[in-house]
Amino acid sequence: MASKRKIATCSLAGCFGCHMSLLDIDERLLELLELADFDRSPINDIKAIHGVVDIGLIEGGVCNVENVHLLHHFRDHCRILVAVGECAMTGGIPSMRNHHSLKSCLEESYIRGVGVENAHIPDDPELPLLLNKVYPLHEVVRVDYYVPGCPPSADALWHVLSALVTGRDPHLPPALLKYD
Amino acid sequence: MTHLLETAAHPRTLRRIAIEPITRVEGHGKVTLLLDEQNRVHQARLHIVEFRGFEKFIQGRPFWEVPVLVQRLCGICPVSHHLAAGKAVDMLVGARQLTPTAEKLRRLMHKGQLLQSHALHFFHLASPDLLFGFDSEPERRNVIGVIGEHPDLAVRGVKLRKYGQEVIRAVAGKRIHGSACIPGGMNKALTIEERDTLRRDITQCIRWSQEAVRTCRDVLEASVHAPIFGVFPSNFLSLVRNDGALDFYDGGLRALDAQGATIFDHVDYTRYNRYIHEEVKSWSYMKFPFIINLGDEDGWYRVGPLARMNTCDFLDTVFAEHERQLFRQAANGGMQHATLAYHWARLIEMLHAAEGIERLLDDPDIIGTDLVVKGERALEGVGVIEAPRGTLFHHYKVDENDVVVRANLIVSTTNNNQAMNEAVRTVAASYLDGQKLTEGLLNHIEVAVRAFDPCLSCATHALGRMPLQVELVNCEGQVIDRLVKGADGACTPEARAP
Amino acid sequence: MSPDSKKTFRLDGREIPFREGQTVFDAAMAAGVYIPHLCHNPDFEPHSSCRLCTVIVNGRPFASCTQPAVAGQDVRSDTPELNEMRRDLTDMLLVEGNHYCPACEKSGSCRLQATAYALGLQDSHFPQLFPHRDVDASHPDIILDRDRCILCGLCVRISRSVDKKNVFTMTGRGIATTIVVDSPSGLLADSKVSRDDEAVQHCPVGALMMKGEAFKVPIGQRPYDRAPINEDSVARFRAREAALHG
Repeated sequence: MASKRKIATCSLAGCFGCHMSLLDIDERLLELLELADFDRSPINDIKAIHGVVDIGLIEGGVCNVENVHLLHHFRDHCRILVAVGECAMTGGIPSMRNHHSLKSCLEESYIRGVGVENAHIPDDPELPLLLNKVYPLHEVVRVDYYVPGCPPSADALWHVLSALVTGRDPHLPPALLKYD
Repeated sequence: MTHLLETAAHPRTLRRIAIEPITRVEGHGKVTLLLDEQNRVHQARLHIVEFRGFEKFIQGRPFWEVPVLVQRLCGICPVSHHLAAGKAVDMLVGARQLTPTAEKLRRLMHKGQLLQSHALHFFHLASPDLLFGFDSEPERRNVIGVIGEHPDLAVRGVKLRKYGQEVIRAVAGKRIHGSACIPGGMNKALTIEERDTLRRDITQCIRWSQEAVRTCRDVLEASVHAPIFGVFPSNFLSLVRNDGALDFYDGGLRALDAQGATIFDHVDYTRYNRYIHEEVKSWSYMKFPFIINLGDEDGWYRVGPLARMNTCDFLDTVFAEHERQLFRQAANGGMQHATLAYHWARLIEMLHAAEGIERLLDDPDIIGTDLVVKGERALEGVGVIEAPRGTLFHHYKVDENDVVVRANLIVSTTNNNQAMNEAVRTVAASYLDGQKLTEGLLNHIEVAVRAFDPCLSCATHALGRMPLQVELVNCEGQVIDRLVKGADGACTPEARAP
Repeated sequence: MSPDSKKTFRLDGREIPFREGQTVFDAAMAAGVYIPHLCHNPDFEPHSSCRLCTVIVNGRPFASCTQPAVAGQDVRSDTPELNEMRRDLTDMLLVEGNHYCPACEKSGSCRLQATAYALGLQDSHFPQLFPHRDVDASHPDIILDRDRCILCGLCVRISRSVDKKNVFTMTGRGIATTIVVDSPSGLLADSKVSRDDEAVQHCPVGALMMKGEAFKVPIGQRPYDRAPINEDSVARFRAREAALHG
């Protein structure tokens, strides 16, 4: 039997909708597990990529320092890196904060907010440093493929994944190409 | 008591353990523990490292965009945010009472979401701990392990979730991030074909949900952990209907204390700000809500399935109400305080949602076509619902030009912030304190966090290649030893030069 | 049939008939060949600013919306190079504005989005600029969201030549160009614009919208959910041709 492909997934500044859409392949999940093993992913307890994986799927844009680290970790350990969803591709809805200063966003939530007590901006060293803007993945690392959509439909993800695990071109047919 | 674990007297002299990312939860968070040389736990915290700034960046956007925009807070329960924002926007256009069809379509979509979200949590995320044991081998302890060893259960989980998602798709046009709520109603009627397609499988879903409740109850009854794991008293909060029944879509706020005595009841949720405030703590981006007149020390509360089974007087569907009674009997009629009881309560709600879907599909109003009402414009709107994870507050102010000028969101998981920290501390104190730490023991902490089904959805948090590490730090703050959990879950000591 | 209709030019190897005075674009669309375009609306004078409809005529590039058809021309449109250029132009328009398709009420009826679909734009090459642009919601019926403006100039042209009001114009240069409103305050509320103006009906993107219409059309029933823009445009164009010229 040919060796199975290894897939790793993670979410940066995303909402997990892309991961949910991947689960929306429903029963085809069993088929996917015949073709590929899951390495690091939020759905199991593997917390870092071990060795090299074939396909890395990343949802979400880059909003803090640790997103940057994790993105580099994926780039270094994935043969093929796929930006999944609008946030990974363009920054998405979270990048709407780019039109405001980070300071004003933090102040709105923790100082000016309705019913806020002990008002101050959280600043513990355990909290990762926020970037002043939210960035799409390809502005930080090289990205091999993109799957647009908010989220991409299960069929779109299935199309791309089944193409990649069998070495085909993952270009989406017109009916599956959506940005919303 | 455990609240002493919130702050260590001399943090710099202690060893730090970070569990990150917490896996098999929706979103990202991390837990840090500070230990002394005898492995006594001095501080335990759940940090939410997410910050997105929705409250700021939706300012200046027209209000009709809000329900579609803010559902991007969360891809797991987008319907919750869509509905809570939808209800707030209804107030802005003066739609005090929706048409029967519009309200029932919203309730149908909401129940579809409860079904899919609860199925996802139990079958895909939580069941591995319960079926295999908290300290079983990490490579088996996931949904793929469940598929391998309990394929029937796993396939049911997949199909129940699929059904819930299909209900949402029928109403909102997409499974995730659709559009359904418009100011004053809904944008699409349910066709007879769509209704009939959904009707075909609902009986099966109810039966599977009943069996899932039973499975979960059996597992918890057989578990040595269930009666003692993360048990701590708290207040509880949820919406209830006028007659005291649980209502996920609408109602008044009810808060009960740890003994079940009323703190407040049938409170008009648009006045939530007179009852609940939020405290900021420097070490988490998630605020800490509390009931104002009890104060920040004692006023925190739990929300979500456990809270709802404790607060409501009854469920208005037959099978689920029967299960709720068993649930309350297990606590001798009192308040159920065990963290693991969240799972049981969650599956009772899944059953309740499935029964509710059947009832709505049988209701002739559900295929009605009268979808929108309008009234007198207002400049402020509040929408509150019971999301799968608990009470969800959306509050908007707009100006005369229809653009948002203020927004306040208290999401379900935020309401559980203090309680999740309490669970982490309780488990740390009773299972980890003084022990030699292993991956399995650390997973106990994650099991406690997972029980809340937290939706920490947003910024991930993983420190380069070392996602889980224990560092021994000397009094000068230098790292003198470190334990690393590798990708295979094995813990290895790693010496590091000071 | 007039004798004119016997005149033809060659488009991607296919003979395309045309009437005297017709543009390459109009003749191609009438013959059922889609040429991607954004700033052009056949009901109004062409502008040739978006350059998406660029074709190669006898070896040289021209905007087909303003290029007169000439008998015997050799025209190339559906070539890998031109389509790559069209994708790049569309991609640039997307990164130069703030196009948040997921939450945009125009999604599913937006020509920019639909054109990107038709071109198969599945990747992203340029940095997002995230420009700061103002929303003008001052008018009771109309909202101008400059975040989504692609500077096609349709509202400027239509307000000038059809509505005879000159409400809109462009200001600034290059990447700093924005649409501005002719009124003492610069706001729509103080301008002569009204809800019946043609200028507010034809915005190809979500920049100029009527208030209170958002998300009324459910997903799955929006124009470009029903038919992709290449089919939709050709069908509309042919129907228009049939109505005008039989």
